[in-house]
Amino acid sequence: MSFASHIPGIVGVVNAMLRVATPILLAGLGALLSERAGVINLGLEGMMLSSALAGVVVSAYTGSALLGLLGAMTVGALLGAVLHGAVHILNTDLILSGVALNLAASAGTVMCLYWLTGEKGISSSLSSKVLPTIAIPLVRDIPLIGPVLSGRNVMTYVAFFAVPAVSMMMANTTFGLRLRAAGQDPASTAIAGVRVARIRLAALVLSGMFAGMAGAYLSMGYVSWFGANMSGGRGFIAIAAEVMGGGTAYGTGVAALVLGGAEALAVTVQSYGAPSELIQAVPYIVPVVALALYARQRQRRTAAQ
Amino acid sequence: MRKALYKRGARLCLILLVIAVVLWPVVASLDDPRGAFFTFVLGPFNDMRHFGNVLEATIPLLFTGLAVVIMFKAGAFNLGAEGAFFLGGVVATAVLLKLPLAGPLLPVVAIVAGGVIGASVCVVPAWLKASVGASELVCSLMLNYAALFIGLYIVNYHLRDPNAGAMLSYRIPLDGKLPRILAGTRVHLGLVIGLLGCALGAVYLYKTRWGYESRLVGSNPLFARHVGVRTVLVGLIAPCVGGFIAAAGGAVEIEGMYSRFSWTDLPGLGWNGLVVAILANNNPAFVPVAAVFLAYLEVGGDLLAQNFAVPAEVVGVIKALIILFSTMSIAVGNPRIKQLLVRVMPGARKLNTEVEP
Amino acid sequence: MSTEALVQFLDVQKIYPNGTAALAGVSFSIRAGEIHAICGENGAGKSTLMKILFGLEQPSAGVLRIGGKEASLRSTRDAAMAGIGMVHQHFSLVPSLTVAENISLGFEPTVGGVFFNRRAAHAFAEDLSVRYRLQIDPRATAASLSIAMKQKAEILKALARNVRLLILDEPTAVLTPAEAGELFDHLRQLKAAGVTILFISHKLKEVRAIADHITVLRAGKVSGSAPLCSLADAEVTRLAMGKLVPSVSRHADRAIGAAALQVEAVSRAARRSASRITDITLAVAQGEIVGVAGVDGAGQEGLVEVLTGDAVPDKGRVLLGGEQIGGLPKARLRALGVSHLPADRYKTGGASALSLTENAMALARRSPRLSIGQYLKSKACEVLAREMIEAYDVRCTSPRQPLGSLSGGNAQKLIAAREFSVKPRLLIAEEPTRGIDVLAASTIHGRMVDLARSGTAVLLFTSDLDELLTLSDRIVVMHDGRIVAQFISSPDLTTEEIGRAMLGLETSHA
Repeated sequence: MSFASHIPGIVGVVNAMLRVATPILLAGLGALLSERAGVINLGLEGMMLSSALAGVVVSAYTGSALLGLLGAMTVGALLGAVLHGAVHILNTDLILSGVALNLAASAGTVMCLYWLTGEKGISSSLSSKVLPTIAIPLVRDIPLIGPVLSGRNVMTYVAFFAVPAVSMMMANTTFGLRLRAAGQDPASTAIAGVRVARIRLAALVLSGMFAGMAGAYLSMGYVSWFGANMSGGRGFIAIAAEVMGGGTAYGTGVAALVLGGAEALAVTVQSYGAPSELIQAVPYIVPVVALALYARQRQRRTAAQ
Repeated sequence: MRKALYKRGARLCLILLVIAVVLWPVVASLDDPRGAFFTFVLGPFNDMRHFGNVLEATIPLLFTGLAVVIMFKAGAFNLGAEGAFFLGGVVATAVLLKLPLAGPLLPVVAIVAGGVIGASVCVVPAWLKASVGASELVCSLMLNYAALFIGLYIVNYHLRDPNAGAMLSYRIPLDGKLPRILAGTRVHLGLVIGLLGCALGAVYLYKTRWGYESRLVGSNPLFARHVGVRTVLVGLIAPCVGGFIAAAGGAVEIEGMYSRFSWTDLPGLGWNGLVVAILANNNPAFVPVAAVFLAYLEVGGDLLAQNFAVPAEVVGVIKALIILFSTMSIAVGNPRIKQLLVRVMPGARKLNTEVEP
Repeated sequence: MSTEALVQFLDVQKIYPNGTAALAGVSFSIRAGEIHAICGENGAGKSTLMKILFGLEQPSAGVLRIGGKEASLRSTRDAAMAGIGMVHQHFSLVPSLTVAENISLGFEPTVGGVFFNRRAAHAFAEDLSVRYRLQIDPRATAASLSIAMKQKAEILKALARNVRLLILDEPTAVLTPAEAGELFDHLRQLKAAGVTILFISHKLKEVRAIADHITVLRAGKVSGSAPLCSLADAEVTRLAMGKLVPSVSRHADRAIGAAALQVEAVSRAARRSASRITDITLAVAQGEIVGVAGVDGAGQEGLVEVLTGDAVPDKGRVLLGGEQIGGLPKARLRALGVSHLPADRYKTGGASALSLTENAMALARRSPRLSIGQYLKSKACEVLAREMIEAYDVRCTSPRQPLGSLSGGNAQKLIAAREFSVKPRLLIAEEPTRGIDVLAASTIHGRMVDLARSGTAVLLFTSDLDELLTLSDRIVVMHDGRIVAQFISSPDLTTEEIGRAMLGLETSHA
C-alpha cells in the first residue's frame, strides 16, 4: 500500500519535529516563567549558549553526561541570578542587560573554549559525552506511533513532562500564585508583604535552568560538540513560542511543536532540491508569521468585545 | 549643567574601569603582559596603517550607530540594524554586478538600492507592530537571521564566482568602488558620508519639527498623541529611516573596503551600532566620537589577537559590559548602593533626580 | 476606649533627597480603640505620615512608638507584624486573582508547604466576611468587582492580618454619600470589636460624622490635635489652612455667549463600563463653565474620550461652533482649538524626561513664532517657556530641567499653562487640581476663570464637589452613562443634592 510506504518518512519528519522542538520548548518554558513574573528574559540566547559550552566541558572532564547536564543547568541558573542582580542592584535596563548577556556569552564562550582547549570555534578536541536516547521496551513495538514515542532523547521526555509540571506549579502552588501576582501587579503584591524581588530572582534562576537544559541538549544531544554561536537565535524563537502560546505552559508546548514541525517540513523539502540557505531561513520566518497571525487574532478578539 | 558633566565623567571612568577589569586577567596570564597591554592601548596609534584601521572601522559604525539612535529616540525598540546592514551589502553587490551602468552614478545607485531593500529588515517588524501589535523587538531579532540566509542564498546562487573559491562573489567593477581619501590607508569616502549623516541626524532630531515630534514619541507616546502627533506614523518612519541608514552602511562598507562580497555570517556591526548609540547617549552629535572609540577598541583587540595568544573576542566581552554598565542609573535605585556611593563620593548626592512625591 | 497611646509620633521628620521636607517635626498620639482622623490640605504631609506608618517610607529623624516600644518599620511586612493594616485609596488588589487569593497573598494556607490550599483560603475569606459583616464573594476576581466592593475586599485584606490599627486613606473619595455612610457603619462595628482606626481625609463633614479625635497637619507640622468635640468647624479650617487663600469664584458679570460645544444624543457602547455613554445631550456656551459630577466610572471617561478624539461615538453628533467634530483625530481637534487637561498628568499630560521647554512648546510647535516650516527656533521656544513659567508661577530652577523634577503642583501649572495659552475655543479639564497644593490649585482656578472670561467654553470634570460648586455656572450629573440631573449653580445648591443625583436617586433638571 502506498500509504504504508510513506510511514517511515512521516515518522522521520515527526521525529525531526520533536528534535527541533525540544530546545525551543525547554527555553520557552524558561521564557514563560520569567515573563509571567514580570521580567522578560532576553538573555535566554546567551544562557543557552553558555550552558551548551558548560555541558560539553563538564562532561568531558568528569566523563559523565549527567554531570554535564547539571553543570549546564547550574551555569544557566547563575546567569539568571546575574541578570537579576544587574537589574535589581545596579538598576540597569532589563532589555539591554539581556542583550549584553547575549553578546558577552557569544564572545565569552569562544574565549573560554580557547583557554581550555586552545581551539577557536569548535570543541572537537574535547571528548564530551552525549545525553542518551531512551528506548521504552513495550512502547516501541506499538505500530505507527511506537517509533515516535520510544527512542527519543531523554531531554525530549523531560520537556514533555515539564509542560504539565510548570502548568501545575503556576496554578496550584503558592510560589506560582505569588509569581503571577508579582508579574501582574508588583505594587500590590509588595504591599501584601511578598518580596517581589525574591520572586523575580527565583523566576530568572529557574528561567536560566531551563535555558541550561536546552543548551545541554544542543551540545550533548542534537549534536555532540560545542560550536561558536551554536544557539543560532533559538533563544529568541523560544520567546516567540511563549508569546504565541499566550503565556501558558501548554500553549508554549504547542507553539514549540508547530515551529519544530515547520522546520522539519522545510528540511524534508530541501531533499527535493530547494536551496539550503532558504531552508535555513524558514525557522526564522515562520515565527514572525505566526506571531503576526497570533497578534491579529488577539486584536480581533479584543475589538469584538 | 555641571551635573550633566559630572555624570558623563563618571560614565567614562566606569567604562575605562570595565576595560581594565576585563583586560587584566587576560593580559596577566600571558608571557609578556606589559607588551600585550601596550599593544592594545597604544597599538592603534603607533603607525599610519593602524590608525587607518581605526578610521576604517569607524565608518560602518557611523551608519549603524546613527541608525540605532534614530530608532531608539523615536521609541522604536528595533534591533534589525544588523540584518539591514548585511542585506544592504548583498543588494549593493548585486546591483554593482548586474546593473549595466558606468561612471560615478553606479555606486550611488547601489547604495540607494541597498538602503531601500535592506531597510525592510527594520520596516517589516515596525509595520507588524503598527498593524497587528506584534512585538517589534522579537520580530526584528528573528528577521536578522532571515536576512542572513536570504542574503546568502542570493550571493551563492546568483552572484557567486565559480572560479574564486568558496562563497565569494564576482569582482565588483572598479567604477563601483568608493575612492580612498587618506593616503597610506584604506579609509574611503564613506567616512565623509557617514560624518555628514551624523550631522544631518543631529540637526534633524534637535532642530526640526519632525525630529522634535519623533523625540516626543520616544519619550512618552501617550503625551505625543495628546498633543496631536501622529504616533503611528512616527513609529513607522523612524525604522524606515534607521533601516535605510544601516543598510546604506552595509552598501558603503562593501563599496569602500571589498573587492568581492565575502561575508558568510552577520558581521556584528549592528550590535556594535547599539553599543555606539549607548555610548553616544542616543545623540547623533556624539556618534562620531563614540564610533571612533569603539573602533579603537576593536582594532586594539585585533592587534592583541594577531600578536599574542588572545582571541579578539575579548573586545566582545568589553562591549557587553559597556552596554550593561552604561544603562546603570546610579541615582534612582538601591538605597544601600546610594549610601555607599555618597560616602565615597560626596558629590554623588547631586546625582539624584528623584521626583518629589 | 482607653487613654493609653497605641501609636506615638515624636518629632518625626521626613526630608526627601531633593530637599523637600514632607514632614518637619510631627508629634502626636493615637489612643487605642479610638477613631482618629488626620486632616489637612493636599501637600500637608498626610500621605507621607501614612507611608511611614505602613512601612513604605522611613523617617529621616524622630521616633515612632507602637504599643509603647520604639518601632522601625522597614517594609510592609514589618508593619503587618506590628498589627498595622492599610486600605489604600487606589486599592492594592491584584486584578487577576480572586478575592480569597488576594486576602491570603503573602501568608497563604498550604498543603504540604508547597501547594496552595484554595479551599482553606476560601473558607478563611468567608469566615472573615461573616465575622466583620462585609458581604463579599471570595471567588470573584478582583478585576470584576465594583469600586465599593473593591474597598470591602481591601478592608478584609487588612483585617485578615490581625490588625490593631487600620489606616484608611481618603476612603470616601470614590464612594457616593450613601456608600460612605455604609462604610462608616462598618468602621463603628470595627471600633466596637477593638480595632483602632486612623482615618485620613480632607472632608471635614465626614470626619465629624465618624471620628473621636482629630489631628490637623499643615505644611508638614501638626497645627493642632484635640478631641473633635472640642473644636468648631471654623477652628479646624483655620488650623488646616493657616492664612487665607484667595478664593476664586464665578462672577455673575461674566458674559456668556453663543453655544460653542453641542453634544447631541451621543452614545457609545464600550467594553469598559466607565467608557459607556448613552444619549448624552449637553451644551456649553462661550465663556461658560459647565461642571460634570459623577462617581468614578459613571461615564465621564467615555464622554471625555469622545470629546478628545480617543473614541468615535456610535450615535449622535458633536459640534463645535456648528462644525462636526465627533470622530475627528486628535491632531484635527487641536487644530480646531480644543484643549485638554488630562487627569493623569505624568502619563498623558507631559513627558517627565523632557525639559520644561520641550513640554511647554508642544502645542505651539507649528506656530510661526516657533518654527519656519520644519526648522525650529530654539531660542523662541525657550522664551515661550519662560513666559509660561512666569505667568503661572511655576517654581523651577531653569526651563531646561526635566518635567519630572518638578513637584506635582508646579508640573500641573506648566501643563495648564501650555493648554490654556493657545486660547482654545473649548477646554476640557479633568481633575485639574487633584493632589496638588492649595496655592497651585488656586492659581489654576484663577487662570481657568480668566480663560472663560475671554470666551473659552470650559467643560470641567472633577470629583471635588467643592471645586465644582466654586467654578461652575451649571452642573451636570452623570450616572451609569447618562445625564441624570442638571443644576444651575446658586449659593443654595449643596453637595448633598449633587450627591443624591450622583447615586441616581434624584433626577432634576433645572
